[in-house]
Amino acid sequence: MSGLSEVSPAVSARQPRSTVASARFYSRSVSIGLATPLIAALLIGFVYPVTRLVALSFEGGSLDNYRRLVAEPLYLDVLASTVKVAFIVTIASLFLGFPVAYLMARLRHGVAMVVAACVFIPLWTSVLVRSYAWVVLLQRNGIVNALLADVGITDGPLKLIYTQGAVIVAMTHVLMPFMILPIYSTLRTLPPDYVRAARNLGAGAFRAFISITLPLSLPGVFAGSVLCFVLALGFYITPALVGGPGSMLMATLIGQQTTVLLDWPFAAALSTVLLAVTLIFVFLFRKTLSLSKGLHSVH
Amino acid sequence: MISMPLSWNKMHKLMLAGILPLLSWSSASFASEQVVIASTGGAYDRALKAAWFDPFTKATGIKVVTVVATNAEMRAKVAAMVKTGNVTWDLYLDGEIQAASTAHKAVTEDLTGFCKQFAGRRDLGANACAAGGALLQSTATLLAYRTGDGEPTPQTWADMWDSKTFPGERAFPNFDDPWRVMAAALLADGVSREELFPLDVERALEKLDELRPSVSVWWKTGDQSVQGFRNGDYSVGQIWLTRAKAMQNEGLPIGWSYKASFLVGDRIALVKGAQNRDNALKLMAFWLNSPEAQAQACEVLSCTPPSTEAIALMSEDVRKTMPHADEVRDYMVVPDAEWINANAAQLLQRWNEWLR
Repeated sequence: MSGLSEVSPAVSARQPRSTVASARFYSRSVSIGLATPLIAALLIGFVYPVTRLVALSFEGGSLDNYRRLVAEPLYLDVLASTVKVAFIVTIASLFLGFPVAYLMARLRHGVAMVVAACVFIPLWTSVLVRSYAWVVLLQRNGIVNALLADVGITDGPLKLIYTQGAVIVAMTHVLMPFMILPIYSTLRTLPPDYVRAARNLGAGAFRAFISITLPLSLPGVFAGSVLCFVLALGFYITPALVGGPGSMLMATLIGQQTTVLLDWPFAAALSTVLLAVTLIFVFLFRKTLSLSKGLHSVH
Repeated sequence: MISMPLSWNKMHKLMLAGILPLLSWSSASFASEQVVIASTGGAYDRALKAAWFDPFTKATGIKVVTVVATNAEMRAKVAAMVKTGNVTWDLYLDGEIQAASTAHKAVTEDLTGFCKQFAGRRDLGANACAAGGALLQSTATLLAYRTGDGEPTPQTWADMWDSKTFPGERAFPNFDDPWRVMAAALLADGVSREELFPLDVERALEKLDELRPSVSVWWKTGDQSVQGFRNGDYSVGQIWLTRAKAMQNEGLPIGWSYKASFLVGDRIALVKGAQNRDNALKLMAFWLNSPEAQAQACEVLSCTPPSTEAIALMSEDVRKTMPHADEVRDYMVVPDAEWINANAAQLLQRWNEWLR
């Protein structure tokens, strides 16, 4: 933060304020030069391995791995339940995360920092630690069961840990910051004058939220949803720790093939299918986003 | 941009700071003799270091570098190293059954020649040194239970299925290696030890259907299996002997039965194309030749060492809880590694289908 504010006056002093001009500050060759390391890193570290992975799944030019994947109901069933879990987790993160982001954007600076810390500190904590924390909370003699019994809601301990529900709760907790932060950043740039104007024109608080704040925050909502959804599709550690046999996800099956059976071509086929499904969903999300944007600009 | 350009002096220091670690690293890999071994870390690693690696370094001057990874990670990493020709490990530890698989043979060196030197040894069993690796230790996966006051205790797998006599919930492992759960079900269903393999998978799963409602935990890590006993999540479970022993040492009322047990072990395997091959062979030979090291490590880990001389060196307390020779002969099931490996993919797929 401080480094940035030190640099920016120097840059703006030399340049006119227009953003177009500052983008042209560097000559074409310098721009390419500056982008080269990133492009190289992406090509070597991402495009090449993914291409190799996809190629590996078609080993020997055959579709055998994909045939097996389709023939055994297990794999497509698990894929469907992976998508379902990712969807539920995304929706849950959205409903829980939006109010937090809204609060962070509207609170006074000092209080907002406290809320931000509550969001960031879990984000900086290892996923492993956060998942184990849920094991402690949800286990048979855990805090949640003790509380329920003491209040008199339940007679005996409930089975909370090693269930699908536990997986959804823990994954939502882990992924919430990825929902909150994009929404927060769009809400913060939203001038309060818009809402004030709506209220002046007679809109109630709810109406102003529905017609002004919500539609204008949609880019953040979609960015957060895509992030959450994509990350949830590939989750591995959390389901392994808090999930039971019923909460088998795609990543678990890929892990088995990679490390237990060492059948890498089949693992590659499973990964390719998961990647394809992820890309399809990202594409659909984008389509929905541009659609809703268009509709709102008509109004 | 804003700060002053770095002075030559500062620059010099920075460069040195960057280069020095590189220098020391390269001198470590070229100048001194070493051997790199991957193991699962934690208490296991500490025990092996104290009993085996440190005395070895003292005797030979060869440094032992340990790398920590889970067994599954090791298998995947070694396979990747051999495939890409970039081998940085020399030795790694793997399960007895995996060490007999074709995938294992593809990435490790056949030790038949190395093993010849141990052929005449009376204290070592025939399997102490095999093509897939030298035997590190043996232990068991078995039936463990919480003991009550004078109540009868479950002794066989059939007892584990008998919820009337032995009430309470059950636990089974689910770490992607389902043969031992299926085998237990078949033994409970009356299949004899001799006819156990090849496993009748469908019959095993049918028998497991009976018990399934009582199974409260399908554990994935050894730690989980212990936590469940501590919490009272279950009272009877199929777990590792080493973990059961650890709980007993903690003072928990835990017992186990060798009448319901499978013999399993760990092997030390030599990676194909290992850079420090000679040192690696020396380290393996040191283990098999040193009953003292084996006794010291197994005293801590409560495992059975490969050498009978090592067993004699261990304390009475530890020996008491080790399986007796007649128990091994009469009850312990030695898994058919060849069949398990040949059917691993199918077993796991059927298991996943059944489990979810």
